[in-house]
Amino acid sequence: MKFIPDKDILLFKSCLVNVEYPGIESSTSYIFDRIDVEYYVDERQSCCTGLGHYYDLFDQLSTTALAARNFQIAAETGHKNIAVMCATCYAILKKSANILNQNEEARNKVNKILDDSNLEKMEYNTYDMDPVKNIFHVAEIFFNKRDKISSLVKVDLSGFRVATHHACHYCKVHYNDTIEGVRDPNLIDSLAAAVGVETIGWYDHKRVTCGAGFRQRFTNKEVSLAVTAEKLHVLKENEVEILLHMCPNCQMQFDRYQPYIENKLETEFNIFHLNISQFIALALGADPYKVLGIQTHTVPIEPLLKRLKLPFNIVDQKENAKAEKSLKN
Amino acid sequence: MKTIKLQNNSLKLVKDVLKDLKASPDLGIYKCVQCGMCTSVCPGASQTEYDPRDMIRRVLEDDETVIDDENIWNCFSCYTCNSICPSGNNASEINQILRQMSIDKGEGIQKIVSFSAYGDSFMELGVGSIPNTFFDVMVKDVGPEYMNLKLNIEDIRADLGLGSYILPEEAINEVESILDNSGFKNRLERIKRCKK
Repeated sequence: MKFIPDKDILLFKSCLVNVEYPGIESSTSYIFDRIDVEYYVDERQSCCTGLGHYYDLFDQLSTTALAARNFQIAAETGHKNIAVMCATCYAILKKSANILNQNEEARNKVNKILDDSNLEKMEYNTYDMDPVKNIFHVAEIFFNKRDKISSLVKVDLSGFRVATHHACHYCKVHYNDTIEGVRDPNLIDSLAAAVGVETIGWYDHKRVTCGAGFRQRFTNKEVSLAVTAEKLHVLKENEVEILLHMCPNCQMQFDRYQPYIENKLETEFNIFHLNISQFIALALGADPYKVLGIQTHTVPIEPLLKRLKLPFNIVDQKENAKAEKSLKN
Repeated sequence: MKTIKLQNNSLKLVKDVLKDLKASPDLGIYKCVQCGMCTSVCPGASQTEYDPRDMIRRVLEDDETVIDDENIWNCFSCYTCNSICPSGNNASEINQILRQMSIDKGEGIQKIVSFSAYGDSFMELGVGSIPNTFFDVMVKDVGPEYMNLKLNIEDIRADLGLGSYILPEEAINEVESILDNSGFKNRLERIKRCKK
């Protein structure tokens, strides 16, 4: 089992967390603050280029050069460990670190690019960033602190039927570094267990992609959504009520498109989609709007909260929309 | 006596693939036994004519027409093939290299031109996101709430105690300078020129 740190952590911002589900970041901070994880967020950190990389728009050298800059920001601030909230950031950063450490020609090219950009101070030396010892998914940081998390649980979520969707770019790219299973992934199942929730465990299609496929969702939508729909059908057969995620792109594919697929197929799945950070934060008693950020979800989370009978000030978004409409009329 | 003469360049394509910066040093393409595990677990193969096993065979047989094969654009980059390959090969990574070869030749540019807005946003803000070319279709698919989310994102972030997601100006300049010197800026211009 690899060593997982709990300090000197740069919490690495993700483009899709930023603008689609920012509640993943506030939930992660909420948990880190309570389980004694020392971390830092740097406003200078650029995106990993992940979406652009898999749209085939970015070239590998540019992606690697930007990674070198971000690695130096991490090192310079004394936060040499990187924790990501997005599985694609995880895969991209590890690959870039591998290239910078193993490929002298590429490293020299990257350093020349940095020199030409007046960023000599950011030059990369071999093993400034160790992809195994320094790059993690936040779920791994939680896993390392799961006993502490268990001791802080305030809300009982065990009444729901829960399944997990493990992100491909965490499990299957650098699979030798993946913890808690690759072909039968259980990392987020273990985290659900830490907050007192027994998931359904293995199910047919458990390891199948969300279907986003980067370009596929936009240029091949029918094919992309067919893969998503297949997984949703299996989850429905298993009577799943909550699907837990560890990647904002997967969460987007399921949360944004579930109603669309329901309409097309004239069926209902009624599955809530939460990131593992949001789920743990909820179990720890975090506010749904001020921490979890459920107001950015497409499938409303309010019905889930109502079942918990918590003293939250629940906003009924559908009722609100109706009221606003009638006011306008 | 009959002898088999190996062509001098019979491994040109596979050598070019292995030379690519994207190719991992331990990429096991020569060890491929054509078992077909990759194809059997591939979402692209289950939905389209894409066949990663056949793609690897063609690379090993120096069949350069594979670069122009439309089907290589149906890979989901999910790496399930990689995680299951008994030979340590990585069809997903090889697919990405072939797509870049197609882009370098010119034909592949049409496949990525609609994503060029991602590059513009990256140069402008230091962050990427869903290319704004696809906003209209997202709003149509997801609903008007999606547009509201885009318009109010900074307020929502503030409610969550988060700062602006856009990089400070000095950092944006650094990113832009790196992307200029790495050749990305030129590459993006070249791609945008192909817009129909």
